[in-house]
Amino acid sequence: MTTTIMRTTVRVTVPIVLVLSIWLFLQGHNLPGGGFIGGVLTTAAFVLIYVAYDLDYLESGVLDREVNPGTSIFEHRTVAAYRRTLLLGLAVVIGSGVAGMLVGDPFLTQTYVHVGGVPIYHDVELASALVFDLGVYLVVVGSLLTIISVVSAE
Amino acid sequence: MANLTVVTTIVALPFVAAVLSPLLYRVLGERTGYAGALVAAASFGLLATQADSYGTVRASWVPALDVGFQFTVDGWGLLFALLASGIGVLVFVYSARYMHGEDGLARYYAALLAFMGSILGVALASDLVLVFLFWELTSLCSFVLIGHYTDDAESRYSARMAMVVTVGGGLCLLAGLLVLSVAAQDALGGVTFDLTAMIANDEAMRAALRESGLFVPALVLVVVAAAAKSAQVPLHFWLPNAMVAPTPVSAFLHSATMVKVGVYFLGRVRPLLMSPEWVLLVATLGLLTMTVGALLAVASTDIKELLAYSTASHLGLMVAGFGFDVVYGGEAGTFHLLNHALFKAPLFLVAGIVAHEAGTRNLDNLGGLWRELPITAAITGVAALSMAGIPPLNGFYSKELLFEATYEVAHEAGGVAWLYPTVATVASVFTVVYSVKFLGMFFGERRAPLADIHRPPVALVAPPALLAAAAAVVSVAPQLAVDAIVQEAVEATAIGEAHLEAGLPTHFSPPVAMSAVAILGGLAAYPFAGRLATAIGRGVDAPVPVRPRGWYDWVVSTAETTSARFGPFVHNGLLRTYVTWVAAAGSLLALAGFAATRGALGIDRLGVPLAVAAVLMIAILAGVAVTTAPSHVVSVLTLSILGFMLAIFFILASAPDLALTQLVVETLVLLIFLLVLQRLPSFYSDVRPLALARDAGVAILVGAMAFVSVLLTAPRPDADPTSVATYYTEQAVPGGGGTNVVNVILVDFRAFDTLGELLVVTVAAIAILVLVTMRTRGEETVGDSEEGPIPDGGDSP
Repeated sequence: MTTTIMRTTVRVTVPIVLVLSIWLFLQGHNLPGGGFIGGVLTTAAFVLIYVAYDLDYLESGVLDREVNPGTSIFEHRTVAAYRRTLLLGLAVVIGSGVAGMLVGDPFLTQTYVHVGGVPIYHDVELASALVFDLGVYLVVVGSLLTIISVVSAE
Repeated sequence: MANLTVVTTIVALPFVAAVLSPLLYRVLGERTGYAGALVAAASFGLLATQADSYGTVRASWVPALDVGFQFTVDGWGLLFALLASGIGVLVFVYSARYMHGEDGLARYYAALLAFMGSILGVALASDLVLVFLFWELTSLCSFVLIGHYTDDAESRYSARMAMVVTVGGGLCLLAGLLVLSVAAQDALGGVTFDLTAMIANDEAMRAALRESGLFVPALVLVVVAAAAKSAQVPLHFWLPNAMVAPTPVSAFLHSATMVKVGVYFLGRVRPLLMSPEWVLLVATLGLLTMTVGALLAVASTDIKELLAYSTASHLGLMVAGFGFDVVYGGEAGTFHLLNHALFKAPLFLVAGIVAHEAGTRNLDNLGGLWRELPITAAITGVAALSMAGIPPLNGFYSKELLFEATYEVAHEAGGVAWLYPTVATVASVFTVVYSVKFLGMFFGERRAPLADIHRPPVALVAPPALLAAAAAVVSVAPQLAVDAIVQEAVEATAIGEAHLEAGLPTHFSPPVAMSAVAILGGLAAYPFAGRLATAIGRGVDAPVPVRPRGWYDWVVSTAETTSARFGPFVHNGLLRTYVTWVAAAGSLLALAGFAATRGALGIDRLGVPLAVAAVLMIAILAGVAVTTAPSHVVSVLTLSILGFMLAIFFILASAPDLALTQLVVETLVLLIFLLVLQRLPSFYSDVRPLALARDAGVAILVGAMAFVSVLLTAPRPDADPTSVATYYTEQAVPGGGGTNVVNVILVDFRAFDTLGELLVVTVAAIAILVLVTMRTRGEETVGDSEEGPIPDGGDSP
């Protein structure tokens, strides 16, 4: 699959897909979208990179870092980062659930506030559910990419 | 009115003690038996306080199905419960001495206590679910008790046999109870498992059962369950085998209580199910068992085996009594339940003493024991003659009642019905023979040299002596026992009015003649007992078809070999085999469920808009194309067409979130496929037509199941939204602050579900990580040791 057409297409589409996924994630509370859909779409963008290039490309080509070719998939820095993402996501989800308990609400209680007078948007709704959704997003991205990178490396 | 707390305490006390018994055993050691006796005595005392407060108490358990902790205190339940706890006291005292120096006593007492609690539960429970629960608990406890000597293969075999037969019967009971509860829906106007209410409305229940054609099935199921539990022919074979249990267990479970649970329950439902079919089935079954049991008892040489067959025979007498629709029948069954417990329990305890002191249980080697064991001989004299039905001992009165019942039924029906009194008399002849044979081990000359026979300790002799004394009291003044408890028990099991009057016959009547024939015939036949035993033994050793135990062995061994062969067939270590079986079986079950409950499909609802139809047509075409695709890549791409069409279908059905999810997941799956396909060979292997047909069949089955499920369970498009749906739509903005209801449900209303799903995803990721690690490690070690991997599911040496 590492044809020039494929690589060129991926270079153009991946940023668009990533922006789209973040947009879907952010608007999720009021319009179609949300943490899960955004997470899967982000994962799709990364998988596109894998299909066109390979696992090491994220290290060498994007982050411009040295890749140690001898290490197995488990010590691979990218995979470790995915695992950290996964754990961070779980921490965010549970943290957002516990946060409500600090002010006396039951576990996982969510709330929201409307903030007025913001430039351009005028009225913005800030929902604590977005934090929860961020956790969902991180868990989905982290776990799917862990699975895919480990399995594809096999 | 009965008191819920008291009744619950009576039933719960033994269970609590059972849980505590390992602790008790650590503190008290072998004296735990006396603690058990105290518990039994406490239950007995509490029961006695309830003697004048009949009634039903109830605490709710599953209100939607009207299942409750419902207990009814009446004469019949009280008689049985008093017997269980009263004999329980004596058995615990006896055990404390008899089980001296044995292993596993903590388990033994725990099981015995739990068993007593279960029996009290069966006796007092009047909710069918509760009855079933306690009924099966008695089977479980008896399994543990019969298999007490866990190192002994025979003990394990017998325990399993008792378990298979009684629990199998228990399943029939469950089915029968469900049928009754279904009938109650029509008869009592609602789902209920309330047995008291069913019996109170017995005519309505019978009418409802008859109307739905379920009367005979319900009757047969209940009778089979009772027959399995009470060792009726042809399920009698487990009882003698159960005699490998310690003797106190035999006395308690296999004569006084557990085996009577079936009889007890027949007495309980007798007013509910009484009908010509009942008489034919139950009375015939009882008399047949009575005869077969008596014959086999005559042929046995082991004293416990003799008592076991005799128990089966006497249980047959009670069942036969309950089978007859005349007043005397119910009286015979009820009264004999008491009498049998009073003479059979001491006989078992005596058998234990003899085995303990003489060191053998073989009747051929025992004789003239009265010199060494005079008190035991006296006890046996009372109990064995009572078992034989010799007047004026207590066994005579209840057997006389059965004779009267058989005579009355035969006199009314005439013709073939005369077989009833004939068979009853013949069986009683053999009863006398084996009773005298049992008694014979105390008299006559010593038949084989025995070691020194010690005088048994008081703790072993006192319990059977007390029971024999009770039997003697009932013998001398039967009306005393009748007034105390039996009359009220008779009323609970009777159809219509019944007034029991027990006493010696004052004038000559046909039943008296039958008794005379039985006793004289038995005494006359006794000298030929040896030849009789040989003849019966020859019959028993006949080819397999007439031996129920042969059938049991055949069924069990066939089941074992079949499952051993079936196992590798269903799960042979290949994932695709697992999927095939699970998918096919699950779909078939679901379809069968729909077919049984919903009937025809509602095709009229298939109104499909044109756009949807077009999209779905393309999806179907893509599906067909997948099967004919020439390479992996093409088939994956065509499969994606199907997935994207589904996404469009979701958009058309106004589910944008679902469509988005479907789209991104489809994209991701497509990408992953492409990632993996680089490594796969690009050709398909040759397909075998048979495998193809199998896969097509499974696929069609799964498809049909999904189609039918959606068609039947999904709400109509024009139906009103459910209350849950309405709640979410109305509360999304004020409660969660979001206008996307799906997302608000995910993160606000049902965040805990989402959290659980995230954990699932996390676990999946970790599992895959671990699996891949393990696999590489496994390969390394396998490569090192140069041994092939052990195939999944195979037997490792």
